[in-house]
Amino acid sequence: MSIEVKLPELGENISSGDLLKVLVKVGEKINKDQAVLELETDKAAIEVPSPSGGVVRQIHVKEGQKVKVGQVIISLDENGAKPQEAPPARTPEPVAAGIGQGARPPVEQPLGKGIEARTATASGPAPSNGQQAKPAATPASGTRTTEIKLPELGENVTGGDLLKVLVKPGETISKDQSLLEIETDKAAIEVPSPISGTVKQVHVQPGQKVKVGQLIFTVEESGAAVSAQATGSAAVTTTMPTAPPPTQAAAPAPPVRTTPAATPLPSVPPASAEAPFVPSTTGRSLADVPASPSVRRLAREIGVDITEVHGSGPSGRVTMDDVKAHSRRRHMEQRTAPAAGLFAPAPLPDFTRWGTVEAKPMTGIRRKTAEHMQQAWTIPHVTNNDKADITDLEQLRKQFSASVEKAGGKLTMTAIALKIVASALKKFPQFAASIDLAKEQVIYKQYFHIGVAVDTERGLLVPVIRDVDKKNIVEISVELSQFAAKARDRKLKPEDMEGGVFTITNLGGIGGTSFTPIINSPEVAILGMMRANWEPVYTVGKFEPRLMLPLSLSYDHRIIDGADAARFLRWLCEAFEQPFLLSLQG
Amino acid sequence: MSKNIAVIGGGPGGYAAAFLAADLGMQVTLIDERENPGGVCLYVGCIPSKALLHVAALVNEAEHAKAWGIDYGQPKIDLDRLRGFKENVVKKLTGGLDQLAKQRKVTYLRGRAEFVNSNTLKVALVAGGQQTLSFDNVVIGTGSRPASIPAFQINSPRILDSTGGLALQNIPKSLLVVGGGYIGLELGTVYASLGTKVSVVEMLPGLLPGADRDLVNPLAKRLEKIFASIMLNTTVAGLKEEADGIRVQFKPKDGEPSEQVFEKVLVSIGRRPNSEVPGLEKTRVTKTPKGFIEVDAQRRTKDPVIYAIGDVAGEPMLAHKASHEGRLAIEHIAGHKVAWEPKAIPAVVFTDPEIAWCGLTEADAQAQARDIKVARYPWAASGKAMAIDRTDGVTKIIFDPQSERVLGVGIAGPNAGDMISEAVLAIEMGANATDLALTIHPHPTLSETLMGAAEVLHGTATDIFRPLRASTAAK
Repeated sequence: MSIEVKLPELGENISSGDLLKVLVKVGEKINKDQAVLELETDKAAIEVPSPSGGVVRQIHVKEGQKVKVGQVIISLDENGAKPQEAPPARTPEPVAAGIGQGARPPVEQPLGKGIEARTATASGPAPSNGQQAKPAATPASGTRTTEIKLPELGENVTGGDLLKVLVKPGETISKDQSLLEIETDKAAIEVPSPISGTVKQVHVQPGQKVKVGQLIFTVEESGAAVSAQATGSAAVTTTMPTAPPPTQAAAPAPPVRTTPAATPLPSVPPASAEAPFVPSTTGRSLADVPASPSVRRLAREIGVDITEVHGSGPSGRVTMDDVKAHSRRRHMEQRTAPAAGLFAPAPLPDFTRWGTVEAKPMTGIRRKTAEHMQQAWTIPHVTNNDKADITDLEQLRKQFSASVEKAGGKLTMTAIALKIVASALKKFPQFAASIDLAKEQVIYKQYFHIGVAVDTERGLLVPVIRDVDKKNIVEISVELSQFAAKARDRKLKPEDMEGGVFTITNLGGIGGTSFTPIINSPEVAILGMMRANWEPVYTVGKFEPRLMLPLSLSYDHRIIDGADAARFLRWLCEAFEQPFLLSLQG
Repeated sequence: MSKNIAVIGGGPGGYAAAFLAADLGMQVTLIDERENPGGVCLYVGCIPSKALLHVAALVNEAEHAKAWGIDYGQPKIDLDRLRGFKENVVKKLTGGLDQLAKQRKVTYLRGRAEFVNSNTLKVALVAGGQQTLSFDNVVIGTGSRPASIPAFQINSPRILDSTGGLALQNIPKSLLVVGGGYIGLELGTVYASLGTKVSVVEMLPGLLPGADRDLVNPLAKRLEKIFASIMLNTTVAGLKEEADGIRVQFKPKDGEPSEQVFEKVLVSIGRRPNSEVPGLEKTRVTKTPKGFIEVDAQRRTKDPVIYAIGDVAGEPMLAHKASHEGRLAIEHIAGHKVAWEPKAIPAVVFTDPEIAWCGLTEADAQAQARDIKVARYPWAASGKAMAIDRTDGVTKIIFDPQSERVLGVGIAGPNAGDMISEAVLAIEMGANATDLALTIHPHPTLSETLMGAAEVLHGTATDIFRPLRASTAAK
């Protein structure tokens, strides 16, 4: 039996990744859970395991390519059986090539309006390959629960505000009945149900922000509905719990032929899994765009490349409104794009006028860092500097470092700082807060997960150590060492880097006397540590050599006042100077 | 501050440009040697030929009427009056353009322009003297002229080009048309209807190279009846003037050379761009190897203040293309963001039957190895075609196989030239087969055949029983 392995969900809000390495070869026999790809997402490098064993028949992705969740990555022959079926319908290549956001996944039949449903309790054999246009998992009888996720709402719409939930638990719903009313950037949208059944659970609340792919409902389908759906609706994506990467039965793609003259796109409703957004770089020429002369002229006038506009009309015809919507969306993106702000970046000069240059694409981590920093920069930052006398602490550190090493960690000033900061955050809760301007709220966190910036060859990563306040310094040291190693080996998972309330960044290993760290939003403060130096310190009539650790605290002045910051930082310094303070107050 | 622009050439491209420029508030000078604006199209091209072709159609129709029981007898032709009618049409139209130019305060300079530099022109006036004028922009619309080859230049009044043919000096007993393109076939049709024995010689294997064969066939069949002979795959090896005519040597591709004497010979082997504008070398304007002035999508030449439009700026050499280019160039000069991006430029041959096509042809698709679907509606299924006893026509639509978008249309039959506009609109609007099929067409008209062809694609044309599976129409 042959299986199409698709890129599984990689984590919340991760829709794609850059393919670093393909770890298997065509013809290779692989085991279940064996890593087949190494992928770099915005958040981390991830190894993608195979959902089952078998022989690799075809690899559908290339290194360096962007791969999207749900995209077919490899085809497997289970148990090494010879392929009995023709290769699966392939994505139309001229369309797929070179799309800005990576190759286009196979066109999936939209579910009603493209809702993806996952059965949670189905039984039976794993669904087979993409040739069969019906979900393989059809329970003989009875009910099954299906998880309904928020479908794609349109091009570049990632989510919206939930205005209204239109159904209640226990309510019987029919296919295409509206479930939710969502306001996106573009419009208010009613989200229909892809299936009929009884609402078991509603996972969202009005007022909440919901994202595409987020679980919104659990629906119990009746037996009749189940079988009807199994035979009637090829579109329902059925995922077996035992096979995490959805080996789903993709509906046959529209028969798009690959003629050299780039036939126009098949018409795909905008709400389907992938809006056919095709930039001109795909070779789609102007002559292939079905748009009337007045529409073409409008596009030119307002600076829209009409080959990039998705046509909502029949046969993909581009209307006046499509052009306007495209333009509006682009402007909105520019406005909300982190790179914009009050002052859009000036266009770059032609550097080749002055010498040879080489342009390299940003890695996912670099891009994410750049975006994140740009956004964080909009926070009104203030940095306070202070110095902690760590002469005594350094002696203690050396004294105990051997025992910590035995435990598998390294007793570093960062590890100690983590403990000190956790104590300080308890004492000064606004430093572990977040600010919600929209709701005019300050959110105080009652957990003390602290991020530590780690410098890797691929860029800056910030693993988060959980519940620092509940761990002793030895435990913290061990965990920190493990995280540092994971970061270097690209083994950090997205969840390893989430949930921090405060960040520490230590440049002591490199040097420097002070700097202005940028707040890791949505946090509100960050502590920078520099290299400790021996300095003459005046005490009671004389100068004494003391080991002084420079500390720089950047904070969000919107919710933290300068005096509070000075107090917080002084408390840290005193704790470094007198670790007993931790036991006393921390 | 209004721009000051010059347009060289008063043809359909030039005067359309000049008039729009004036409408947009520019100061415009239109330069042409002829008395009034109009150019080749109005003076010695489209318009006079259509006046004569109308007459030819009438003669042919009267002949045809015998089959319906109406006999007008043999037509008596008063050539002077016929010529007068044609010249009057030309005079009225060009005079009208002169009026329109005056109303728009376009300065019409009768003379020949020469570039002094990119924005300075020296105009040698027909009335004598010269003017040197400076402009912000210059639009070159100098058009084209009939092509000739040295072997045909034997300086005899019996050798005509299209201009000479339209002059209607006399009705020759015999006429050889060299070149089976649209000009030769149109003029040949005129002379044949006036009683001349017309022969056509074409070096390629078919008439009207560039048009799909299935459209040419109905015309070729009819021309075979009204022409004395059609020689394909044949070149003219030599021309010699004799006392009673021109002796022409033919050299068929496969076969023995032959000779024949014709009273007159019409040379219609194509047209050449008039890109030898004096002083052009003093600007940065460049030309293509074929002698066209090189332009970008805004019809701007390599010299940023100079634009070129119409025949001199490239194929297809058609008046309606020139007018649109002229207007586009002016819009660009006026600062609008525009580009030359038509999806279809219609071509019409005003023979009987007319042949018209636009957009993608089957030949194009084949050359591009592009997948298409073709739906044909034979006019035998049209009530109107039956009523006018002209069932020899065909209407076909070329579709994109997936989206069923109309990519090209070809029509052969009376009024094809008027009917093609709907097809151009369909292509420009991105219409698909269903759009055409659901657009209600008046009955009984020939235009219904377009709707019918769209229905043929789905195997559901009312007047044709050709279910999809057995269909050859949707190949």
